[in-house]
Amino acid sequence: MKAMIDDETLDRQLREAAPYIDDDGFTTRVLANLPAAQRQPRWLRAMILLGLAILGSGIAYVLSGGFVRESVIQLSNFPIWLLLVFAFGCGLVVGAFAVIFAIRKTPDVRDLTRLEF
Amino acid sequence: MELTDADLIARVLADDDQHAFGELVRRHQSSVRGLLRQLTRTDVSLADDLAQETFIRAYKNIRSFRGEARFSTWLYRIAYNCFREDTRKRKELVGVDEALLQSEYDPQTVDPGLRHDLMHALNLLPLHERTAVVLCCQSGLSHDEAARVLDIPLGTVKTNVLRGREKLKQTLAAWGPN
Repeated sequence: MKAMIDDETLDRQLREAAPYIDDDGFTTRVLANLPAAQRQPRWLRAMILLGLAILGSGIAYVLSGGFVRESVIQLSNFPIWLLLVFAFGCGLVVGAFAVIFAIRKTPDVRDLTRLEF
Repeated sequence: MELTDADLIARVLADDDQHAFGELVRRHQSSVRGLLRQLTRTDVSLADDLAQETFIRAYKNIRSFRGEARFSTWLYRIAYNCFREDTRKRKELVGVDEALLQSEYDPQTVDPGLRHDLMHALNLLPLHERTAVVLCCQSGLSHDEAARVLDIPLGTVKTNVLRGREKLKQTLAAWGPN
């Protein structure tokens, strides 16, 4: 009876028998057939978001009928320590949201922390 | 420093960066085309058409890639689905089935003296065993990853790999020097 090779040798021979296939224009053909990019560049999206935020704030200020102005004046009368606490609290909330979204967009970090979103 | 697959995917997601996607294609084209050539039994033209379809689908659906598996595993899954859909279409059009395809590869018709005995022996395996052997033994996927690619139970993958390996060994031993 003829001898048979072991699993390890067979797997190694299979890997060696699979040749590297030269690109030979394949990638170019794939790229030529991709659908056109539809999304705007990142800077344009950032500018649109910033513009909308400024416009929205302006409209809200005008429609408030002086409420915002009076609120700012009242806020300036608050003690300095209270303003610092308020600013620190706002920073914490914004920072927490930034961390959560950064983790959601980074698979490596998400796997590391084993958080499910 | 060379960018990782994850970096390139992030660029595609952020800016639809087709150059970044091109780099991903360059990195994985050989393994995907190699897998499809095995599945189509070295029909190079068909395999390349399916590989192209695989990468186009990957680009269109890249937002569904959540990074839970390797990018190559995800590509293999798309490639396998493309192959299955194509096989189904061909069956509907001309009534070709796996048994008929199998009969075209009678071991007696293969010259044992050929340089690529192993690849010919691989082509003699039934599709389910050949696919499992190519993914696990040749492409280096774990049984678990192969089960996800093929969408079949883990135990079935293990059985197919085991049977495929045994048949390969027997075929090669039969072709070997007396």
